[in-house]
This record gives sequence, structure tokens and C-alpha cells, in this order.
Amino acid sequence: MAYPYRHEKETRILSAHFGEPDARTLAGWRKRGGYEALKKALAMSPADVIEEVKSSGLRGRGGAGFPTGVKWSFMPKDESRQPHYLLVNADESEPGAFKDRELCRWTPHQLIEGALIGAHAIRARHVYIYMRGEFFEPAQIVAHAIEEAYAAGIAGDDVMGSGTAIDITLHLGAGAYICGEETALMNSLEGRRGQPRIKPPFPAAVGAFGQPTTINNVETLCAIPHIIMRGGEWYRSFGTEKSPGTKLFNMSGHLVRRGNYEFPLGFNLKELIYDVCGGIRDGRSLKAVIPGGSSVPILHADEIDIALDYESVAKAGSMLGTASVIVMDDRTNMVKQVRRIVDFYTHESCGQCTPCREGTSWLGRIMRRIENGQGRPEDLDTLTSLGRNMVGTTICVLSDSAAAPVLSSIEKFRDEYETLIRSAESAAVAV
Amino acid sequence: MSDRTTPIRGNPGWAGETGEFGHLTEEDVRGVTYVGARPVEGGAPGACSSYPYQIAARHPEAVLFEGAYAKRLEKIRSRYPTSRGALLPVLNLAQEIHGHLSPEDMARVAEVLDLPPALVRGVATFYTMYNNRPVGRYLIQVCTNVACNLCGADDVAAAFLDATATETGEISSDGLFTVIEAECLGACGFPTAVQINERYFENVTAKDVPRILDRLRDEALNAAGAD
Repeated sequence: MAYPYRHEKETRILSAHFGEPDARTLAGWRKRGGYEALKKALAMSPADVIEEVKSSGLRGRGGAGFPTGVKWSFMPKDESRQPHYLLVNADESEPGAFKDRELCRWTPHQLIEGALIGAHAIRARHVYIYMRGEFFEPAQIVAHAIEEAYAAGIAGDDVMGSGTAIDITLHLGAGAYICGEETALMNSLEGRRGQPRIKPPFPAAVGAFGQPTTINNVETLCAIPHIIMRGGEWYRSFGTEKSPGTKLFNMSGHLVRRGNYEFPLGFNLKELIYDVCGGIRDGRSLKAVIPGGSSVPILHADEIDIALDYESVAKAGSMLGTASVIVMDDRTNMVKQVRRIVDFYTHESCGQCTPCREGTSWLGRIMRRIENGQGRPEDLDTLTSLGRNMVGTTICVLSDSAAAPVLSSIEKFRDEYETLIRSAESAAVAV
Repeated sequence: MSDRTTPIRGNPGWAGETGEFGHLTEEDVRGVTYVGARPVEGGAPGACSSYPYQIAARHPEAVLFEGAYAKRLEKIRSRYPTSRGALLPVLNLAQEIHGHLSPEDMARVAEVLDLPPALVRGVATFYTMYNNRPVGRYLIQVCTNVACNLCGADDVAAAFLDATATETGEISSDGLFTVIEAECLGACGFPTAVQINERYFENVTAKDVPRILDRLRDEALNAAGAD
């Protein structure tokens, strides 16, 4: 059940046992059918596991939406380049996203089971769960579950009597959003600064410690046991043709009932906000929605009657991303909130690429000037030109992510910017 | 627990709004069975025996990586194919012992991992959870990013600074508190999210701040009594 509120229309697969402390234990997880999927997968060949996941159409839940089975199929099909690594991306830190923390703290064994199946599929001998350092509470819960798995022979030298050896190590980050980018995550795991690498080479060829590597998001791996148990066709019965399955929708901001809800992809955004989450707090009206975490273009209140799947949100001019929906009411100061988002990217830029290192800082300074009533008439053109120069010009997309909310808010809420700038002009005249 | 620190209904112990799961206690939500202990041998090897504790264990005078800590260093190294791979967990361990990373601590880490000191310093200064100077007994990190900001995070941050009579990053005169603003903590559905040492406090409003500080003072007193 999604947490901390439920809705009758939900399809609860990954979130079925949220809010049940007993589900955290190995005994509790087994009582709920846990590790049956791993047993089944170990009896299948790696190629068959990959085929089943391919047939499910599951797409990566970390934001990019790349088909998981296809990603797995890029790994070497033999043992010639061992060791292979599976890295679990639990570095959740996109503003608006809070699903992986719930999956880790309520259902740690669901994650471990999915990760072990993934490791079997790509012939990985070691799974590193890279979790952000701030997630101390979920980390201790996952660490405990890893120990239980070792003690029960589920992880270690002979996984469930299959003869396959798979180690699991929980690796804690130390505070850097950029480490959620897969190549930065690999650098960080190797003991380097979290700076993204240029691709190619892709991780399946040259990944962590120079070895073939696959990186999967927590939510992606949590779906795997269900797909193995019930089949790719069953999974495809949820969601849309191109975006199959269910997804956790992370609902935050000015809502009556915030929290995570699980629905098939393609669920309507307007229904999600007004019916499922009880609408806007304090009887206010809606001003804007960020549908996929702080990195994606903002939608105006009149643009929200859309289906939440990868294709429909892209068609509406934004991105589904992590399905992290941030809702803003009519009192929201858009310039201030967008500036706060830009400050975040300025802080988190790794500093490698000039358009990002300098661009995020300039965006922030100009936005702050406007917010404080000292904007200049040319500022909106400067912001637009600067933002456009930050798109597609850097190693990773952090730069694009910083520009997206600025460009989209200038386009959709230009009057707010202009009002602030006009007040600056009249103040100057008065002096 | 004294009256003044009684948890709010529906938000037990500030572990976050429980909504329709009102039967859950703070212990249930946090998973206290697993969370909170700081075993000197580091606990689970699968977790590298190393957590990013942001304040010192109560051994500030301890020499880095001796005794039980030497064993933990070895446990950490055994989980990585390269010495360098152990760098972040070993920095975590150093910070657990001393509460912050001094230049001498970084040099010692470089020595035990056989890495160039400049490289260790470059990594240690990249990540925000490594304190480059001492902090109070409770490091209070208020998320002021967008999802919390929409719900009053700026007021919460101001209330913590006001009630502790500190400026951002200072240690309060009683040595108990350091307040800083944090980037998104990944608890956006439970605004305002505040990380206090290892724990998250959630759905915090400015009004809650005095009661949270009272609770922390009580905990510090109780811990002192137990020593």
C-alpha cells in the first residue's frame, strides 16, 4: 500500500507492503512470498531471465526510462571479462523524488531479491548498493537485511544452493547529488570525486573499476521479482503499450494528501492531484506543476490534463523523469522557487564543464537580482540566451536540468518576472 | 518521556506523518530495531562497517584506525578490488572517530590507503557530508529545497537558528547545536524534512522547533547520566 495514504484505484505491486514493519525481516518477507522469484530465476539461464525482462517492457525508473532488459543484454555474454558488477543506484536526491527511500526502508528484501536476480542475469559477482549518505535510517535497515541474506545463504558463495557466488556491499555516499548520474556514481564508488565520465565507453564495456558494469535504479530492480514470478506478459497488462507496468508517483507540495501512490503508467495527472491527493491545500487553486522532479520543464495549471507515461508527458513539453510531482498553489512566488532550484544545481555542479559551472552560478545571480526587485529590462533575454547555451553542451545533463525550469518558467510565467522587473524600474525612477 | 517532548498525533516522534497508518509508532517507522546503535566493531560487514556519521562517536581523542578501528579498516578494504575504492568508507570512519576531518586526518587516511595526500584532500572536500571543522553535538540540517520550501522550510530554518541563538554553521554556546541548510533530503512528501545527526525529523513546522530542541537536550542529558 502506498504510504502514508492509500487510494482505491491504486495497483499495489512494489508498494504492497509499505507500512508493515514485519516485512523488513527475512522471515516476514518469506511469509509474503519473498525469494521464490530468485529461486525461479536461478533455475533459468541468464539469457532467459533477460528475455523475460525484455518481454515485460520494463523501463528504467531512475528518470531516463531506458528499457532494462536491453540494458542488461549489452553485458558480455560469457565469463571472459570477469568480474562484472551490478551497481544499484540508491542515490535518490532529485528534488521531488522520495520513492527509493520508501522502497529501501519498508521492503529491503524486495530490493535485495531484485538485485540478486539482476546479478544472475548479467553474471555479476558483486552488487554494490550505492546509497546516499543522508539515508542513514534506510541504510541500517538494508544493511541488516543484507546480513540476514548472507546468514541464510541467499547472498555469498553459493546463492540458494545454485553454486553461483554473489556478494552484496552497501556503499554509502557522502553528499553529492551528481553521484546519481551513473558514470559519476562509478567514479565515486572508485574513491574519486563524483564527476561524470564522457560516454563512450559505456558502462557495459568499461564500467566500475574498468570492468563490465550495469547500473539500475532501486525501483527498477524492485519490479524484477514480480516480473520473474508472474511473467513479462502479466507486467505488460498494466500501463501503456510503450510505458508498461506500474510506477510510484511521488506527490509533494501544496497537496492535501502527500505521499507515494502506485498506479499503472498512463494515469491522469489531474485525477492524481484532485481525486487521489485530495486537491490543493487550504482551498487554494493550482498555479503550476513540475511533473518529473526539479530537472524537468514546469507545466502551467491548464496543461495538467495529461496521461503520466513517458510519451504523453514528453508530448506536453515536459518529462516524466522520476514521476516526482511537485504541486504549487496560486500563492507561490515562481521566481523565488525557480531561483531556489537553480541554487541547488549551482551547489551540486561538479565543476568540470564551463557552461554548467559558470552558467548555473550566473543564472542564480540574475534570478536573485530579479527576485529582490533589482532586475533589469534585458535580464529575461540574458537568462534565455544563457539557458539555451547550457543545453546539450556538457558531459552530463545537470546543466540542461538547471536551464529547464528557468526557460520554462520564463515562457509560462513571464508576467511574474516582468512585474518584478517593472517594480525595479519604477524604484529606480523614484530615486 | 516528558510532556514537553510528547510526539504530535499522527507524526510520532517526528518520524513523519503516518496518515492512514496511524497505528505505527516512531519505532515502527524508523525501524529502531536496526537503527541507531554505533557498535565499535562497526556492525554489518555488508555495509562496509562504515556509516557516514556526521558527529563523533564519544572517543574524540582516539587515534585513527587503532584497536577495533584497525579491524574495521580491514573489513572495509576487503569489500573493494582497489585500495582507492575504500576511500569514502574510510573517510566516513575517520569522521566517525573525530567528528570532522582535519588536514592531519586526511593525511592519515592517505597513509593507510597508500594514496597521495592531495588526492584524498581533493575527494574529502568534494563531498558535503565531510565536515571540515567541528560541529555541535547535534548537527541540524534543514532542507530548504523546493518541495520543503513551498511548505515553509525557510521559517523552519530561521526558527532553529533563532532558538539556538546561532548563525548558520556555528556551534551554540552550550556546544549542543549547529544549524545549516541542506539540499533536498529525499523526503519531499514529509515537509519540512530536517536531518539531525543520523535521524530524519519530518513534517517539522517552525512551531515544533522548541519541542524538538527540548527532546535533544533531554537525550543529551540522559546519555551523560549513562556515561
